[in-house]
Amino acid sequence: MIELKNITKNFQGDNNSKNEIHAVKNVSLEINDGEIFGIIGFSGAGKSTLVRCINLLERPDAGSVKIDGVEMTELKPRDLYNARKKIGMIFQQFNLMPSRTVLENVAYPLKGMSKAEKIKRVRDLLSLVEISDKENFYPSQLSGGQKQRVAIARALANDPKILLCDEATSALDPQTTGAILQLLKDLNKKLGITIVVITHEMEVVKNICRKAAVMHSGEIIETGDVFTIFSNPKHEVTRNFVRTTSNLSKLEILINEQSPMVELKNGELMARLIYIYADISEPLISFASREFDVELNIILADVEIVAGVMVGGTVVIFRGQRENIQAALNYFASKNVNVEVIKDAGVF
Amino acid sequence: MQEFFNNLLPNLMRRLPEFWKAAGDTVLMEAWAGAFVFIIGLILGVILTVTKPGGIMEQKFIYQVLDKIVNLFRSIPFIILLTALMPLSRLIMGTAIYVRGVIVPLVFGATPFFARQVESALAQTDKGLIEAALSMGSSPLEIIFRVYLRESVAPITRATTITIISLLGLTAMAGAVGAGGLGDFAIRYGHDRNMIDITWVTVIVLVAAVSLVQWLGDFIARKNTH
Repeated sequence: MIELKNITKNFQGDNNSKNEIHAVKNVSLEINDGEIFGIIGFSGAGKSTLVRCINLLERPDAGSVKIDGVEMTELKPRDLYNARKKIGMIFQQFNLMPSRTVLENVAYPLKGMSKAEKIKRVRDLLSLVEISDKENFYPSQLSGGQKQRVAIARALANDPKILLCDEATSALDPQTTGAILQLLKDLNKKLGITIVVITHEMEVVKNICRKAAVMHSGEIIETGDVFTIFSNPKHEVTRNFVRTTSNLSKLEILINEQSPMVELKNGELMARLIYIYADISEPLISFASREFDVELNIILADVEIVAGVMVGGTVVIFRGQRENIQAALNYFASKNVNVEVIKDAGVF
Repeated sequence: MQEFFNNLLPNLMRRLPEFWKAAGDTVLMEAWAGAFVFIIGLILGVILTVTKPGGIMEQKFIYQVLDKIVNLFRSIPFIILLTALMPLSRLIMGTAIYVRGVIVPLVFGATPFFARQVESALAQTDKGLIEAALSMGSSPLEIIFRVYLRESVAPITRATTITIISLLGLTAMAGAVGAGGLGDFAIRYGHDRNMIDITWVTVIVLVAAVSLVQWLGDFIARKNTH
């Protein structure tokens, strides 16, 4: 269990200027064992600094960092080095040692073993991350995804209980990102390792995290299970993140471009329907169309699986008698669908 | 053959034993001074790297003092250093002349230069590697040996090459104040007595030595770049 309490970290500005940068402001966070926890925020939000406070690569100016009840900030240097061996970390730029082969890189953190034991351990790790065939390659000969696999193997060398991932997929293409995330998910299941994922990509959080925190200018503005954050964002920043991943954000573009698709005729009304907590196995749209005698024209639709639950929305143009449209909207609202009228062309 | 060289290089052939001795002295100066410069400069370069602001063992005071001392010795012209360090040389080596007497000024002249070279070689180490090593629980001492030095073999080799070659220039200068060696040999006969053949042969030998060192350095650096 990771317990951060009232963590504050300031940085001196450049050239000893007076203006301090408040990277992390009074942040408290609890991460349970075996969890995959996401910390999402735009760059500069302080998430990298916060995660470095967990293994004390950054020493917080104030606050407490407890891992399994042990106060990290009070450890003697030697004990801190040993504690760090149980906290693996991977990075956006992989940070493999260029003058060492894959095998030597993964063997780096291993100590107190014979050479044969080390080689056996490294081979086990490489097969765990499915890159056994590359043990004598140098990092410069590997692709980004392969490098990150090696980095993960190296981070796991001392059987850590926690794995910190600092933008670990941000330098990778979408397909490789998917593969690495799948690997992290598998490792979490196989080893029971707690994983903390730092990212600016909502996709990543949606893909592998159960719980997440949203960070903005040094503070955690929202935290909870990913489904709740994603389906019902409370803070503007969170909403922006959710929008970045949703197809429905294209609506704004269409409206800005004055696309004929979103031109309304008299009597028509355009609304965004967001399903929250909804059982969308019910055929809401076709039911509403028949029941209330309105025509429903779906412009955009986006339905996804988040943390094992369906979440989504559609942008729909309603056409019909005004009172029928109103009745249909009320019906949707009664089914826990979040209705947002975007444009209304008014009555005939 | 013998006849041919006697005709081509009359002055040199008459002083062949002296020439070999001079070459041997140069090698001796280079080897002794070079060994000290390498070890002391490497240590200073590492200390400068790790104690500087933001370094893994940040020590502002030590860094500032060392930084200033290095600058000081780098700015003193070598010929002044040679005479100024004579008392110290007598104290340490027992003499201020000949090969033994010139080791101390050579070390003082070349070490700060090499220390700076090492510092800039180590500065090329990716900060991310240091961070990764810290995250794996490496102590600062481990990071010095297993990351900084191990990952900088190629740039340190290049720095060493440059320093060995510039040290060769310094030994020639030291020759002028009684250290012996090839530089002294060339000045005394080639320059002062206008024995052109001696000047030429000395220059050719030095060019060959420089080329050999440079080639060896490049070879080792290339072997260690992946």
